[in-house]
Amino acid sequence: MRGLQAGFAALAVTAGAALAGAAVPTPADAKDIIINMAAPDWLPTRFMQEEFNRTYHAKSGNNVKLVIDFIPWPSFYQRVAASLSSGEKKYQMLVTDSQWLGDFVEGGHYLKLNKYIDKDPELQAVLADMHQVLKDTSSSYPYKSHNYYGFPQFPDNLITFYRTDLFCNKTERANFLAKYKKTLPCYYNEWEQADWDLWADIGEFFHRKKGDKLGDGVADDDFYGIAYQAGKGYDFSSMQINTLVWEAGGNIWDETNTKPASGVVNSPIAVKALERYLDLLKWAPPVAKTGQMDIFVVQDLYMQGKVAAVVDWVGLAGPVIDPKVSKVADKSGFAQAPGWRKPDGSINRFANIGGQPFVLTTWNSDEVVHECLEIVKWWLSKPVQVNFAKSGGQSGLLSVIQDPAYFTYKPWNRAFVDNYQWQKDIWHIPEFFPLLTEQQEQFDKAITGQISAKQALDTVAAYQDKTLKEAGRIN
Amino acid sequence: MTSLTPVQIPPQTIAAAPSPRRSARGFLGWLMAPERRGPMLVAPAIATLIVVNIFPLLWSYGLSFFSYNAKYINRPPRWIGLDNYVDAFTDPEVWDRFTNTAVIVIGSVAVQLVVGFLLALLFAREFPLRRYLLMLVLAPMMLSLSAVGVFFKLFYEPTLGFIPRIVQTFTGVPFVILDTPTKAIIAIICADAWMWSPFVMLLVLAGLVSVPKYLYEAAEIDRASTWRRFRTITFPYIRSLLLLALLFRTIETFKIFDVPYVLTEGGPGTSTETISVYLFRLAFNYFRTGRASALGYIVLFGVIVLTSLYLYAIQTRRSEAG
Repeated sequence: MRGLQAGFAALAVTAGAALAGAAVPTPADAKDIIINMAAPDWLPTRFMQEEFNRTYHAKSGNNVKLVIDFIPWPSFYQRVAASLSSGEKKYQMLVTDSQWLGDFVEGGHYLKLNKYIDKDPELQAVLADMHQVLKDTSSSYPYKSHNYYGFPQFPDNLITFYRTDLFCNKTERANFLAKYKKTLPCYYNEWEQADWDLWADIGEFFHRKKGDKLGDGVADDDFYGIAYQAGKGYDFSSMQINTLVWEAGGNIWDETNTKPASGVVNSPIAVKALERYLDLLKWAPPVAKTGQMDIFVVQDLYMQGKVAAVVDWVGLAGPVIDPKVSKVADKSGFAQAPGWRKPDGSINRFANIGGQPFVLTTWNSDEVVHECLEIVKWWLSKPVQVNFAKSGGQSGLLSVIQDPAYFTYKPWNRAFVDNYQWQKDIWHIPEFFPLLTEQQEQFDKAITGQISAKQALDTVAAYQDKTLKEAGRIN
Repeated sequence: MTSLTPVQIPPQTIAAAPSPRRSARGFLGWLMAPERRGPMLVAPAIATLIVVNIFPLLWSYGLSFFSYNAKYINRPPRWIGLDNYVDAFTDPEVWDRFTNTAVIVIGSVAVQLVVGFLLALLFAREFPLRRYLLMLVLAPMMLSLSAVGVFFKLFYEPTLGFIPRIVQTFTGVPFVILDTPTKAIIAIICADAWMWSPFVMLLVLAGLVSVPKYLYEAAEIDRASTWRRFRTITFPYIRSLLLLALLFRTIETFKIFDVPYVLTEGGPGTSTETISVYLFRLAFNYFRTGRASALGYIVLFGVIVLTSLYLYAIQTRRSEAG
């Protein structure tokens, strides 16, 4: 009897092992699955490719290869839109800007993920761990709905990069205090009190000619106080202008209602905010007058040591501290971007959120969808996110950013995390790109002095009303 | 003596041994028959032309009569007849872009003709290092258009570019080139002329070197002035070539896209947005596919008119030469 029992046990173990072996494909059964992903060409996506190649192993046993198609930012939308519209079905995944969700969801290109999330506890855990603002802006369409289409590949926001050798210089601080009766911010808590009036003072104060005293030395070339994005391409001025409009108490057209844009977009508050934005550009490098001071030009001018302080995306901070490409690698600090001082003395801070979710396309087979979601889970696992953050990336997972160690990975992480609390976003509707392009054109005319702030916003409001009415989004 | 009478082969001998591959050889043989060989060899190129060129032309022509957005694969095109064409002709923005294009064409082609002609006069004579200098002068033509756009963007950059630097050395204030519509258009004209003046030079040089030397010798004996020699000897030989250069460069500059797109993105505002850049935005930013197709055909019509003039000029030159 015991022998029989042992025999049955051995049989059961053997059968179990055989079944378990059958669940994982043998090398002979393993399929080759290539996942093509379109992504903008910069550090967050380059890191993803390297990390994938180095560490990823598909749990299914399949040979999964991730091939990222790196596309330059200025032409990213056109390339992606052209690929999706052509029907070539080249990409299985895309890193998309959050603003395009409506456009490509309604075009039938992006896959709704709710049914996969409902069936997968791991995906539910990822979603639960995501910061709410990312769920609202990067993952869902319509805005703030529970229709999920993406997960954050890289969250981003606008911070200040500043020259510690100048802002913390005793002589410069003393001179600034004497002239403006204000503290020149050096430490993080001092930057928390920075408003746009202070930025104007900083811009004027650090506007130096070649040969003027600068810090402990002398300016070897013309030097400028401040810079922020003022470029015609893509959204390279709208992001900063939206920020000022919200901080001033104004608004952009609200896609959650059917009210017209006129009266909101061109309100007196919005005009005042745009005027402030334009006025401060006089302290920026002369390229600002051409309307071509985009986020990369701002970064480059800062790295070349031409500007004292800039507002730019966290995603561009990595090269700033790389001595191989940056002349200010060892003298840069990072802090919150300035806010708008309210009459009661408090500071109103808002910003247009950046960063990109990644999405799946609608033409994938079930097997490919499964592997894509495995990549999403791998990317949004804590070890990978921590590694990413240590390399200069950012995370949208609460479990990662709420860990005190997160602030130690990179000098800008504290500003990045603090900024989460006041992020808003631009529209997500399908008409996003025509609205943005027209807005960028009008802002460019204002930046280059061809029209006033009021004329620009009046034209933008009229165009938005016309387009939104045609699309049936307003009454 | 060998008999030369033909050998009669019995019919059954011929029919007795049929080849199993006769039908295949027969078809291939028919296909590659001398009278069909030429068309067959050209057929792959024709097929490629049809797929890559003719089919898209016809397809987009059809789309120009529909309201269609290529981004929305689940919304079929809607027939609207000639509305896209009417909108294109009545849209002030379209005429504004045509105006921008005309200004750039006139400015750039004029500069190219003058500079090209002067370069041709220079290179019409022998001088030390002429060959190497000629290679350098021709180099801009070999570059890609977008590369030229990027180069000039760097040259014009107000903080780091070398042209503003040189000007600032004399004036003491930063020199910004692309901040006003007028300066931006001049900047584009300079970039385009820099690239294509060597082309005009080549055409004119061909004419200059064909002028018989004895005509100049005779003119010298007759003590004709330099201007008289140019007017009565040189210019008649190069006139038709100058006209060819004018027409050819006008056609090409009319379609200019890369340089303004890379250099200014059509800015400041829309002051340097040419019709090609506008067409690109309409098609790939706004995705108004039907409207963009209609405008594309209007531009094509303009190019066909210019090309017809060009062909007429070639024909005239041939009859002059003949």
